[in-house]
Amino acid sequence: MTTSDCDVVIIGSGPGGATTAEVLCAAGWSVVVLEKGRNHLVDLEPPHEPLRHFANDEIAALRRHLLGPDPLLEPRTYRRTVEDGERLMVGEVNNLPSTVGGGGVHADAKLPRFREEDFRLLSERGPVEGASVADWPIGYDDLEPHYAAVEQLFGVAGEDGTNPFAAPRSTPYPLPPGDDMPMALVTSAASRRAGLHPYRAPTGVNSVAADGRPACTDCGFCGGYGCPVQAKSDPIAALQRALRSGRCDLRPESYATELVLDASGRRATGVRYLDLREHPEPTVLEVRARRAVVLAAGAFETPRFLLRQGLGGDLVGRYLTYHYQTFTVGLFPAADFPDGTGGERGRSVTHLHDDLVVDSVGLRRAARDAGLPWLRGGVVEHGAGQMPVDEATTYGPGPHHLDAMRDSALRRRMWAFTMQGEDLAQISNRIDLDPSVRDVWGFPAGRVTYAPHRHELAASAYAAPLHEAVMLDAGAEVAFSATSPPQGSLDQHAASSPLGMAPASRHVMGTARMGSDPTDSVVDAGQRLWDVDNVLVCDSSVFVTSAGYNPTLTLVALAHRAAHLLVGE
Amino acid sequence: MSPFDPEGRRAVAAALESAVPGSVELGALDYVECLLTAFDHEPPRIWAAPGEWAGPAGDPGPDAPAWLDLGPWERQAWQQRIADWASVYGRVVAGTADEADLRVVHAHACEATYGDPAYGGNRDGAGWARIGFPEPLHPPAGARRR
Repeated sequence: MTTSDCDVVIIGSGPGGATTAEVLCAAGWSVVVLEKGRNHLVDLEPPHEPLRHFANDEIAALRRHLLGPDPLLEPRTYRRTVEDGERLMVGEVNNLPSTVGGGGVHADAKLPRFREEDFRLLSERGPVEGASVADWPIGYDDLEPHYAAVEQLFGVAGEDGTNPFAAPRSTPYPLPPGDDMPMALVTSAASRRAGLHPYRAPTGVNSVAADGRPACTDCGFCGGYGCPVQAKSDPIAALQRALRSGRCDLRPESYATELVLDASGRRATGVRYLDLREHPEPTVLEVRARRAVVLAAGAFETPRFLLRQGLGGDLVGRYLTYHYQTFTVGLFPAADFPDGTGGERGRSVTHLHDDLVVDSVGLRRAARDAGLPWLRGGVVEHGAGQMPVDEATTYGPGPHHLDAMRDSALRRRMWAFTMQGEDLAQISNRIDLDPSVRDVWGFPAGRVTYAPHRHELAASAYAAPLHEAVMLDAGAEVAFSATSPPQGSLDQHAASSPLGMAPASRHVMGTARMGSDPTDSVVDAGQRLWDVDNVLVCDSSVFVTSAGYNPTLTLVALAHRAAHLLVGE
Repeated sequence: MSPFDPEGRRAVAAALESAVPGSVELGALDYVECLLTAFDHEPPRIWAAPGEWAGPAGDPGPDAPAWLDLGPWERQAWQQRIADWASVYGRVVAGTADEADLRVVHAHACEATYGDPAYGGNRDGAGWARIGFPEPLHPPAGARRR
């Protein structure tokens, strides 16, 4: 075992960890960032240029686990409820990338803010039976300066004043919006005819050259892929600034296994980790932290880490939320997609609408019909279909295959609305340690126990026909809807969805909940563990509600705020 | 060096062609052979590198690697995975493939037909051309490995 020292050890190099590192380094603190995955993003040697390992390559990115984790090394397990037994499946469950840059590498970087109401859901809307609706210990006003700061740091491209439901802003978007997807203009027009309010999505993708990185080339390989030209800022820009400060030591292939505590058990002095550059017996190393340890491994791996040591209290892993995804698919005539107008080029999503997040007569009526006090859907993304390998594997084998690919119902002729529906926190939805499945290094696999609340099902049932009508009005020949996780019996559950039986959402939240009271939360309003004074959580684990908006900008703003609190600013 | 003898090649080709008609003409058998022999090369041929086009400005990088290296644990996983697939194709050759085996063959036929030509299939991008999929931008067509 060897040791080294720094002010703060950060576990995880994704958007939360990278932002924390940037703030701490700018304040003159030294950090060591431990990243379990490999480095395909940024040269660790000055001047820290991009490695440029990424291409428009479906096979590497989506079929061969380039961004990790490899499920053969790190299996996860899933069940809907305890009645399912120990597990229903072993394999890939909500796998965000395990690589330098974390989930920011694969994301298409839609970066909306939450709204004021999202932080006061219990006060604004009231309780829901069977769910743990709560207010956050901070409000939108507390976070707004940090939203503004990280939008500047990440170079968010967006358009002010076009979303009537947006929360107030103190600053304009730093970059103008990028090119529109042609079909998004068609579905936006139809949405307006239906009384909806689409707007250009704020994205952390350069619309013009900025921050030493080029503008997006609209290559089409965005969501799920590393950016070949680094037009996505998230999180390479933050990591580069941290590294260029000379105070950041980024260590890929470093698997954090244990917090080292002092004799009181209330203060972390460092982190032990495995050096995964070594095989088959990785050396156990320890890095000592003079001031603090930051957990930023994501809302799946952070609770898994804490649970191994029994830290954080009884609620660690509880209140797991995703976004309950409702996909409304429109199949359009081929003539509506002349060359270059489908999803084969352009950003994954250029338009959103928020109408189902806000209160409305229709949602109230649907809530009443469902016997619920209120309903909230989520942000709705106007997006494209699949890339060809993914599409090809969706069609079964046989003589029809080429005809199906040429007809291309799921790629060229497809346009989709994806509603990222608010998922109400439930104490029974959780991540814990699987009793017998282990990763290749011998640690218990993370296990998801998750079933949606009937609120999510009712909101989805309200949204689906509304969006199908919009698709048909936009010119679709056929429109239909599906959800993830799929609904129905277990047999149908497993067989009915190409997305699988587990939630396909990569928006994982809530597993180390923030609060004002240690009896109902894991971290305080400064994101410190209640039971270990100098350990902070800087990822979406701390979310109190899932909000129905893409979580990245909010987790980054929270990390920015927590890091500033830590350095005393 | 092919992992199959001539009879085995014919059996695997027939299975690939049955899964995705036209795939063998586009290089599906080459794709499978490249995959099963990935560890005959260093770095193993698992992840194609973007190549010289991706070099920094002023550095065309003619010696840029054609394949990305794997970490030691990734090597372990991929050696296991390829060994499993070698068994699948062994059953295909023996005529004893089951439904799960044929799902693997189908997936590989799809990857071979519509994936990056660097992996041995989609010869000259003809798989993309036959479905009207535009040649990807990165790497550009001129720099794409064959």
